[in-house]
Amino acid sequence: MIRTMGRKRVVAAASMVAGLSLIVAGCSDSEGGDDEMSADPTTSADSTAGAAAGEGVATDRELVVWAGAQTPLNQTFNPFVPEVQHLALGGVYESLFYYNKAGSGEPLPLLGESFEWNADGTQLTITIREGVTWNDGEAFTTDDVIYAFTNDIAAPDYIASAEATDDTTVILSFDEPQYTNELSLLGLTWMIPEHVWANLDEDPLSFPNIEPVGTGPYTIASISDANYTGVANPDYWGGEPNLTNVRYIGIDGNQSAEDLLRTGQIDWVGMFVPEPQGMEDAGLGYINTPQDPTVLYTCSNADLGCEGDQTDVAVRQALNLAIDRSAIKDKAFVGLTGTASPTFALLGRDDQWISPDVSAESPQSPEIEEAQAILEEAGYTADADGFYGKDGEAIEMSLTSVDGWTDYNNAAQLIQEQAAEAGIKVTASTVSWNEFADGRTNGDFELIMGGVIGTSVPDPFQIYKDWFGGDATTPAGTALEPGDWNFSRYSNETVDEQIQVAASTIDEATKIAAYATIQEEITRDLPYIPIVINATQTFYNQTDYTGWPTEDNLYAFPPAWASGGAGVVLSNLGGTE
Amino acid sequence: MSNPATEAPTQDVEPVQTHKVTKPKRHVNGKFVIGAVMLSLIILFAILGPMITQFDPRDSDNPVLIPPDATHWLGTTSLGYDMFSQLATGARTSLMVGVVAGLIAVVLSIMFGVVAGYVGGVTDEVLTLIIGVMLVIPGLPLTIVISSLVPGRSGLLVAVILGITGWAGAAVVLRSQAQSLRNRDYVSASRIAGENPFRVIGVEILPNLLPLLTGQFLFGVIFAILGEAGLSYLGLGPTGSISWGTILNEAQAGGALTRGAWWWFVPPGLMVALVGCSLALINFAIDEVINPKLRSAPLEARRLRKAKKERRAEKKAAKVELKKEAAS
Amino acid sequence: MRYVGRRLVIYAVTLWAAISLNFFLPRMLPGDPASILIAKMSRNGDVTEAQLESIRRLFGNPEASLWQQYLDYWEQLFSGDLGTSVSFYPTPVTELIGSALPWSIGLVGVATIISFTIGIGAGMFTGWKRGTWVDHVVPSTTLLQSLPYFWVAMVLIYFFSVQNQWFPIIGGYNVFMFNGPEWSWEFVGSVLYHAILPAITIVISSVGGWLLGMRNMMVSTMGEDYVTTAEAKGLKKRRIMTTYAARNAMLPSIAGFGVALGFVVGGFVVMETVFSYPGIGKLMITAVRANDYALMQGVFLVITLTVLVAMFITDMIYGLIDPRARQNV
Repeated sequence: MIRTMGRKRVVAAASMVAGLSLIVAGCSDSEGGDDEMSADPTTSADSTAGAAAGEGVATDRELVVWAGAQTPLNQTFNPFVPEVQHLALGGVYESLFYYNKAGSGEPLPLLGESFEWNADGTQLTITIREGVTWNDGEAFTTDDVIYAFTNDIAAPDYIASAEATDDTTVILSFDEPQYTNELSLLGLTWMIPEHVWANLDEDPLSFPNIEPVGTGPYTIASISDANYTGVANPDYWGGEPNLTNVRYIGIDGNQSAEDLLRTGQIDWVGMFVPEPQGMEDAGLGYINTPQDPTVLYTCSNADLGCEGDQTDVAVRQALNLAIDRSAIKDKAFVGLTGTASPTFALLGRDDQWISPDVSAESPQSPEIEEAQAILEEAGYTADADGFYGKDGEAIEMSLTSVDGWTDYNNAAQLIQEQAAEAGIKVTASTVSWNEFADGRTNGDFELIMGGVIGTSVPDPFQIYKDWFGGDATTPAGTALEPGDWNFSRYSNETVDEQIQVAASTIDEATKIAAYATIQEEITRDLPYIPIVINATQTFYNQTDYTGWPTEDNLYAFPPAWASGGAGVVLSNLGGTE
Repeated sequence: MSNPATEAPTQDVEPVQTHKVTKPKRHVNGKFVIGAVMLSLIILFAILGPMITQFDPRDSDNPVLIPPDATHWLGTTSLGYDMFSQLATGARTSLMVGVVAGLIAVVLSIMFGVVAGYVGGVTDEVLTLIIGVMLVIPGLPLTIVISSLVPGRSGLLVAVILGITGWAGAAVVLRSQAQSLRNRDYVSASRIAGENPFRVIGVEILPNLLPLLTGQFLFGVIFAILGEAGLSYLGLGPTGSISWGTILNEAQAGGALTRGAWWWFVPPGLMVALVGCSLALINFAIDEVINPKLRSAPLEARRLRKAKKERRAEKKAAKVELKKEAAS
Repeated sequence: MRYVGRRLVIYAVTLWAAISLNFFLPRMLPGDPASILIAKMSRNGDVTEAQLESIRRLFGNPEASLWQQYLDYWEQLFSGDLGTSVSFYPTPVTELIGSALPWSIGLVGVATIISFTIGIGAGMFTGWKRGTWVDHVVPSTTLLQSLPYFWVAMVLIYFFSVQNQWFPIIGGYNVFMFNGPEWSWEFVGSVLYHAILPAITIVISSVGGWLLGMRNMMVSTMGEDYVTTAEAKGLKKRRIMTTYAARNAMLPSIAGFGVALGFVVGGFVVMETVFSYPGIGKLMITAVRANDYALMQGVFLVITLTVLVAMFITDMIYGLIDPRARQNV
């Protein structure tokens, strides 16, 4: 395969190191002892810079990335459309802060320098970075920040006002406490240039924006339906990135991606590979950061129109006990997953939020007798074949998973088998992504093998609010509102009350008390039956590049598909030598 | 396997005459025997396979991804499913899809092709038009579109979809055959005698077309089995059941090739090919029945060559004789 | 000319029927695509009046009568408007198809011609060599032909792109080097290089059909009187084989060429997915997976049209070669 192998530019390495991230700071050099490490980032004196300008040396060897996009690519860098290409978010457009999903440290300042909440959570004061320019040469100002929070396209409706008090300070005001929206305000609101977006001739939603004007470490050089390229922004406020050229390509299947990875044709990818050892043997770096719970969505609430046997809490509890999670982990997820907690707190990271009164881990081996005891107590009896039922009708539930999501398909088949052993009939089948998406949003399903989005901050609150909250659901038959995730139609007044309590405080003790109540309810009701914490595998070329997030220095969430992290990771990379 | 596409316009093919024919002397066709034996073995495998094996095709209590050995004759998948048992269960589904789709296709091609060719006139024009449309609309894409619009597909439904999208090629051939049969004396006679056209079709025409229909049925079967495999690869195959297509789909999704698990990826593909091959061999024999030249010509050629050789040898011998004479 | 005229009428009617089917198909199936689409789009934010308008144009206003929708559909087609893709919003369907079509036509066209040529050549040879050992080799080609397209493609990739890195794994051109299509010799070279494996897949899976059809016709033709006469006249063997026998034996294969394209089309949808080839088949799968009705209909229409055109061309060629066809419509 022909490859653009650029001549490596030799630049005095020390001059390249402009700064360090708060998270990098204090971490020892992960590649300790590598003599190609030209400078220890922690020696930098420039304490005002938030993002690091990279490890290693400057290189124009092109980094090839697959961020999960399929061909033909959607040729858009419009940050407001769901199909936006990955490099745009984080690479070209930046948020005020970067929230590292994989760590529990403070957010990394990007275009913001600091922020502060007022006492009751109704005002957020943000200090922005000085001296930043857009890549078209215009200065980045408080007007742009205000525009990003108040434009017609994406402004959240809970913002009452946004004002600049001086050249670097913006105050956002709300009618109600908004502590819980800190992430979406500071970490997921992309700063866009007012001078471009306010004067568009066309509908901003259909604007392809193929030459995006942003502040990030990269600018877009080209795009076609097969790939797009970025080049380092020489005027980046954090210093020009060491990595000059980056290319994102579209690949249609995991098999092709795995083949390309194995043959050294792509350098950075986040994807499920059943045998990562083989990749490591091929000289690739590998990191697994389990983050997102894999669960069984159950359409649990008959009052909201759910149908099927899973609407009976006893059936859900029995199923929960019948599942052999260690077998699923070993066979379907080849041992790469983490242990799920029925509290939906991420074990290890969020331990402080887990109530001592509930079990922190879901049962790892099946407890068939207990499962059957629960069913019998609820009035179910076993038929001649050993399947439980009530009033002559056997329990029968369909379990779907998206075709091609191999690990999920396999897990579903194993659950069918395991449930049958406990006398619960579950039929696993695969569906297209559309059927899956339609089914879950419309509440038209019995059981779905699905994912819960792990929180980006070390606090399970977002899951409680978005996935368990009564406000975040609609009756079955009606599609959920955008941003709501309560597919199970779970609605519990106690939970809703405690979510309110937790939302309006930053006092830890109050929050822990509220969470304890929530956890007691949801571990009993099980509207989502936790299975595992899914593996998040990332493979990277460590032969030609250095500065990747590693176990020891997890300064960013590593997979290439992670939205927003691309800029932080890419600007931290450099060539070896 | 003969491609109906290339076969479609072979209008000059002689129909077999069940009436007043002098049957050629019975001769066992080697290709037919091989094909029939292969097919019987596969069918036997589908029937007996699931009974012989001690493993449930969906029993994951086995070691994962082990190569074929004494216990697991064809190894296991990444979930520990026994491949032999999967393959045997898959054979049932795949063959069922093939046979059902093949039957539907043949029935439809008779309904359109034979009727159009025999009845003629306006009926012919209309039916030919429908055949033309179905011919132009590519089968698999149509199947993909229909499958994607129908959620929860059973194996039977996939078979029906494949059947109703894959009959047009056969109908074209049948139409031209029916047209030529229509003008035969004995058919004309029944027609003029005022017999019910459907009776004429049933009694006079179809028996004559039987070898051709069999050939087309066989083609329909393999077309459907291949189609099912393709649909399954795209994730549009039968949901919830095991077929060769779904095994292949799981194998490719599970990275069977890159993990070196050839026993997971190769057998289902090979089984599809073997079914196709056996049906094609049988079809070969049928082609030779439909078109006796296919059989007689090679024999003739062989005979001719042999004769020439003999003659050359005789001449040579004669020459040698002459030389000898001259020498003496 | 009467022949051409008559064929044209038939094709026009077929075209009308195919397009109408394309219109009715989504409407015959359960669910109302327009409402599904609106529901889907409203999940990503408010649906603007402009978007609603485009959906109405696409699927017809659900409130309008079916007949009115049908008329609107035709009006839209005549103005060259196939609607807007939902999965590539706001790209028009015509634009997506326009960039994908050349790839498929190039690859499938060339591969089919190669396969046809090889098949006919080999068929001619095996037909000529009837009654020899060659007869026993012919049936084995059916095994190749019965292998699933994607299976062949994946095995080829495994051996020739992964184990031995002789050929590329994905793409229609070197996506690591070129930022989209361009006019340069390097690019053309890259396109050809990337077409090799996909083309071999098509050839492997389809050559057997041509070979067999040709061989059988060749064998039949060799028994015809005029061939015997030619032999009796003592004409050169080569001349008999090519000019007398093969030329006539080829007729059905040529006539079947258009029909065969329909089968090839089915295969390339799957094959393009395996190779991430930027063609129309790939686009179709994308549309199917995203429930992008406008794109699905558009692609389907274009595939149908292409096959129709191919059949028409072969029909015309056939008419030129075989005068009987012109009489016997």
